[in-house]
Amino acid sequence: MTLTATLTKPQPRTAKGSPRLERGLLLFPLPVLLLVFYVLPFLGVVGWSFSLPEPGIEQYQRIASDPAIHEMLWRTMRLCLTVSGLALLIGYLLAYCWVFSPPFWQRVVEICIFIPFWISVLVRAFGWLIALRSNGVLNEGLLGLGLIDHPLQLSRNEIGVVIGMLHVMIPYAVFPLLSSMRQLDQRVLMASRGLGAGALRTFWQVLLPQTLPGLLGAFIMVFVFCLGFFITPVLLGGGQTVMIAEYVFLQMFQTSNWGLGAALSVVLLALVSALIWVLMRITRVNRLVG
Amino acid sequence: MNTHRTSLSTRLLAVVAMAFMLFPLLTVIPVSFTSKRYLSMPEGNWSLRHYEALLSNPDWFASISQSLTIALATSVIATLLAASFSLGIWYLRSRLATALIGLVLLPMAIPPVISALVLYFMETNLGKHAPGIGYDTLTGVVIAHVVMVVPYGVVTMLVALSQIDRRIELASRNLGASLMQTTFLVILPNLKLGIASTALLSFALSWEEVAVTLFITSVNVDTLPKRIWSGLRDNVDPSVAAISVLLISITLAVLIGRLVLQYLADKRAHKRLHS
Amino acid sequence: MSLDHNRDCIEVLIEKARGGQINRRTFLQAMGLMAAVPLAMRSGISWSADKPLVVVNWGGDALNAFRSAWTDNFSKATGIPVRIDGAGPTEGAVRSQLASGKPSWDVVDVESYSALVLGREKILQPLDYNVIKRDQVAPALASDHGIASYQFSYVMAWDSEKFGDNGPKTWADFWNVEKFPGKRTMYKWMNGMLEAALLADGVPADQLYPLDVPRALKKIDEIKPHVLSFWSSGAESQQLMIEGEVAVGAIWHTRAKLLAEDSDNRVRWSYDNGFINSSSWAVLQGNPGGSAPAMQFIQQALQPEGQLKLFELLGNGPSNSATEKLMNAEQLAANCASPENLKKQIALNAQWYADNYAGALEQYLTRLSK
Repeated sequence: MTLTATLTKPQPRTAKGSPRLERGLLLFPLPVLLLVFYVLPFLGVVGWSFSLPEPGIEQYQRIASDPAIHEMLWRTMRLCLTVSGLALLIGYLLAYCWVFSPPFWQRVVEICIFIPFWISVLVRAFGWLIALRSNGVLNEGLLGLGLIDHPLQLSRNEIGVVIGMLHVMIPYAVFPLLSSMRQLDQRVLMASRGLGAGALRTFWQVLLPQTLPGLLGAFIMVFVFCLGFFITPVLLGGGQTVMIAEYVFLQMFQTSNWGLGAALSVVLLALVSALIWVLMRITRVNRLVG
Repeated sequence: MNTHRTSLSTRLLAVVAMAFMLFPLLTVIPVSFTSKRYLSMPEGNWSLRHYEALLSNPDWFASISQSLTIALATSVIATLLAASFSLGIWYLRSRLATALIGLVLLPMAIPPVISALVLYFMETNLGKHAPGIGYDTLTGVVIAHVVMVVPYGVVTMLVALSQIDRRIELASRNLGASLMQTTFLVILPNLKLGIASTALLSFALSWEEVAVTLFITSVNVDTLPKRIWSGLRDNVDPSVAAISVLLISITLAVLIGRLVLQYLADKRAHKRLHS
Repeated sequence: MSLDHNRDCIEVLIEKARGGQINRRTFLQAMGLMAAVPLAMRSGISWSADKPLVVVNWGGDALNAFRSAWTDNFSKATGIPVRIDGAGPTEGAVRSQLASGKPSWDVVDVESYSALVLGREKILQPLDYNVIKRDQVAPALASDHGIASYQFSYVMAWDSEKFGDNGPKTWADFWNVEKFPGKRTMYKWMNGMLEAALLADGVPADQLYPLDVPRALKKIDEIKPHVLSFWSSGAESQQLMIEGEVAVGAIWHTRAKLLAEDSDNRVRWSYDNGFINSSSWAVLQGNPGGSAPAMQFIQQALQPEGQLKLFELLGNGPSNSATEKLMNAEQLAANCASPENLKKQIALNAQWYADNYAGALEQYLTRLSK
């Protein structure tokens, strides 16, 4: 019986003489804590979306009909999906090297993942602005090598946003992928290669399916992190790539339209939940839920 | 021992990715040595003034130690909560599990700006009943950070658990071990990497957190990110780059130390293999 | 007991009382023993204020500047400790302070139109004009709930490396990319930008208000392809100008002044056609530190000495014009609020912003993020 089959097969109930109390003690502290400290206060916000400035569903009607909001949501989804996709790709590569390379290489990858954590996101954003501007390191380098004949506009637009966000997100994508790869049975990979499967085939048929939970976990984390991300896009986007996090900030603090800000976060919550649900369906990784 | 190996082309691609990860150092390191009072490349005029400013201003170190305290506490608490919850889910395997996971992941799916308001209202209320743990206290910040980072920990733990072979639990239980014995003696030792990832992730998220912190603190708590972001109003102080360089140097010293030891150990093992 | 020693003891007692090391009764008893009760009364120690006053501003350089210009002196004079929180009193943040049911802020440094909006909604308390002398500032700078703390201006700055001495002067020049080629930067939160667009479109300065928003937005569409970045913080505007990434920018005069210094006058600017406006002191309804100390603080912060200090530290123009008497010629020329410079600038209309800001800002941002 393969590992995957074991995992997806419905399990017989093991709880003989069910130690319910012990299980409850493991399970409930976190939900109770979050219920008190977050979920209940959050219901107040949901309330605003139906009551500010006047009782009714006018804020939701506006979200449904305002083309400016649709454009903002579309921009958000487009950029966040691009960044998450790239972060997953690069994160997968790095996690793979971290796990399957000789120890020396492993340490080098480790350094590259940990170093950026110590540079404040704000400093990184300004660092990118300095590096990416038309007379910055990157453009000068490319010009010097003769690869381009005039400086590229790499920041203060969506390209800059993607570069800046990607750099922040990659380490976060690596973590779940790492634990996923570490735990997989390396003998299976050996067996696949031993039976004559090429590297690519081994990847598609063995490695990828087995690390799917890690990929899904990494995607969920990176994608929702991107959705809430704020300053890097503001600085690197030249102020013109307004995404949902900034838009909600605007509603809450600049224009004091709390009803719209609240309604938007409810809509976002619904979108994210739907997306995760669909992903779990198509990848059939309800294994994440056990 | 790794039995599966990466190919050369994979490693070359990884080198490109690693160069990208380290690319900001090309600007951050020189910027920390600028002679100007704003973030800029030194262009020949290298100066230590921002390191001097940093070392002579105890406020930066007060903020660093506050941030470290908060991040460590957050990391420990969030990891414990995430691990215990995820194990509970793993044992439970029922419809209820999906609902509970949904509830626990909620803070992750809400824009941080809204979470900031939600936590601010929660903490001012908390402060009414229990002054000293709510708004503008270290405990208050830790509570808020735990709430914000724990969903990420739960996802990481669930991923790690999804690959544990359930047969080991069955075997353990069939041999008469109690749930707690099974957890501590059988499951957790297999989860070390997942737990370490969760702890690191929680630490990193708390260390950088600013959106919520700005809102739930006032004059008593001044974390490092809060101090750094305050500069955005007028002028980001190059001392901030100097802090990054100092922290990186410490990390590098530790990691390179390990690297050298590793290298030497590899060589010895190699020799033994061929002798 | 010698007279000197006696005086010494009294001073120690006063210091201790201010530092909160002894309580009121001990203090008065001790002072009574030394027959110094009248002195104790005049020491200005305010016993009602066990709680510190929390003054909220926008952080950054203003944290230290407020301290040395205002709060240190206030604490010394009254014994009331003041803490400065640089959280940024946006309209939403002030509102949430009240909504939480337990505000922790006392005095806030808000945009002048925010004082009107929040005052209208009873989120701010009416200022006590018995304590605060209203006539210290120009009539337009004081309202029921806010009084100007300082003034600042949105000005045009340009890169002399690109245009030599003949830089752009009017907002029509700002829009004229043929005569003044190069990238631009404008303010993301809109203040002054609609006015700039309308002036560039030929609206006379005295007929700006009420602003014709659609017309202004149409004009902004014209310049938008040339705007490299819409800045929302001082550090961003600085980064854009300092290395010549943009040729012309509409930025805060305080930033422009520092940019000129940091670039050895490569970046130049003037008050011509700038948009002057003020920031306001306001007090939250039900503030924890009490109404009286808050009003006292505001009155103290309007005094010329402190206002001059703030001007020297940050370049913000004083709201109390009496401060000009303490200025030398050079300072007068640099002060955005001196009569000479006021003539060159256009005052933003706080009332228009109070009534229209939210709606107009949303349209403006929608246009610029296309």
